[in-house]
Amino acid sequence: MKATMLALEGVGFDYPGLVVIDGLDLTVAEGELLVCVGPSGCGKSTLLSLLGGHAAPTRGTITRNGQSRTIYQDGGLFPWLTVRENIEGGLPRGFAPAERTKKIAEWLEITRLGEFADTYPHQLSGGMRQRCELARALAAETDILLLDEPFSALDYQTRTRMRRELVATLAERPRTVVFVTHDIEEAVQLGDRIVVLGSRPTSVRRVLELPIPRPRQPAAPGVAEAEQAIMDELGLS
Amino acid sequence: MFPLLTGLLILVAWWALYAAGAFPIGTVPHPWEVVLAFRDELASGRLIADTIASLYRVAWGFLGAMVFAVPLGLVVGRSAATRSALLPWINFFRSLSPIAWIPFAIIWFGIGDPPAIFIIFIATFFQITLATAAAAAAVPRIYYRVAEDMELSATAKLFAITLPAILPQLVTAFRVAIGVAWMVVVAAEMIAVRSGLGFLIVDARNGLRMDLVVCGMITIGAIGIGLDLLFSRLARIPSVRWGFDR
Repeated sequence: MKATMLALEGVGFDYPGLVVIDGLDLTVAEGELLVCVGPSGCGKSTLLSLLGGHAAPTRGTITRNGQSRTIYQDGGLFPWLTVRENIEGGLPRGFAPAERTKKIAEWLEITRLGEFADTYPHQLSGGMRQRCELARALAAETDILLLDEPFSALDYQTRTRMRRELVATLAERPRTVVFVTHDIEEAVQLGDRIVVLGSRPTSVRRVLELPIPRPRQPAAPGVAEAEQAIMDELGLS
Repeated sequence: MFPLLTGLLILVAWWALYAAGAFPIGTVPHPWEVVLAFRDELASGRLIADTIASLYRVAWGFLGAMVFAVPLGLVVGRSAATRSALLPWINFFRSLSPIAWIPFAIIWFGIGDPPAIFIIFIATFFQITLATAAAAAAVPRIYYRVAEDMELSATAKLFAITLPAILPQLVTAFRVAIGVAWMVVVAAEMIAVRSGLGFLIVDARNGLRMDLVVCGMITIGAIGIGLDLLFSRLARIPSVRWGFDR
């Protein structure tokens, strides 16, 4: 039995006059890649804010065993810093300067941003920016990684490539991941477990286990079926 | 090239109109008289001394405003309670012409540099406060969330997030404010001081030296452009450019 990294018990979140999340139970095990998929406006981002500790639940309890970093859809990089400086900002404190330089170089290489180390975010393409966000978040060496539609602002081909890169990077440096998306294909490509969320107030409609090795081909056994199951659940078929 | 050409055209038109007798005597000087005035004033050192006197007042007034306005603007921008308490009053004083403060400036500070510096301070302080507050209030929340993940302290958030995030708007605000300060110093010097380019102009008028008035006007305009150019250069600093390039 793996350790539980994140646990939500009877969690609810309200804005004045609006129940966004209600009665949500969810646990995430160590090293698991959990994908939450649901229609837009279903409270997915709110869920991630709660998991990251950026918002407090109105009801229920949240247990988080470890530090987390969040990657956003767009605009999370500091525009006044170069790629190198942004990644450096992600590093945990306490490394000696030489060690820091080495770690930054490593992440620049993993995310293929070496050439753009001294470039500012606004001078990069959307895909490069998200790679830099990924590098900054992973460089922090936290146990938990939260991703809020990180590839949704990218074009289809870049998005597909980024998913594969995420999978490859996580294979090398495992983390507990909660990935939120509205993209069903993306969910099925990535998740060890997929939680299908219903619209407001958010609650779990269905949980799918997907013990299929990654990277997954669209035609691999189980993949298309899972997609169909999610579509059915969301009333899209 | 073009600006020089248009300048030359204006000069030719002025010269031609003067030669054609379009201006009643004593209303507009001959261009050549202005050139001679420049020569005399430069030779006597008065033009340089007056320019330095004006720049000195602008520098201190503006610096003082910057030092107090940016912190106040940050507080007003980041705290809703302070904003609702102070913003209407900052707006009130910003809308009040700095020239209206001249009587108080003289009563409080007498004659000389202090009243002029005070007027410059008043003219720029409320503007910079307002611009800083607006910029600080508009910093995207996402930056602070990232900073929370990084467990930055409140001080670190101020210096590593808020200040760099508003720097492009600050640069623009400073650029506008220095322009205002330069305009206001001339007015202040016409009343409260006995040196500076503003005083040079009043003094020249009292002596019916319209050539000298034009000489002062040209100097004021040229230095205004110079100050603007200097401040616009700040926008080219790499960690500021992102605010203008996007």
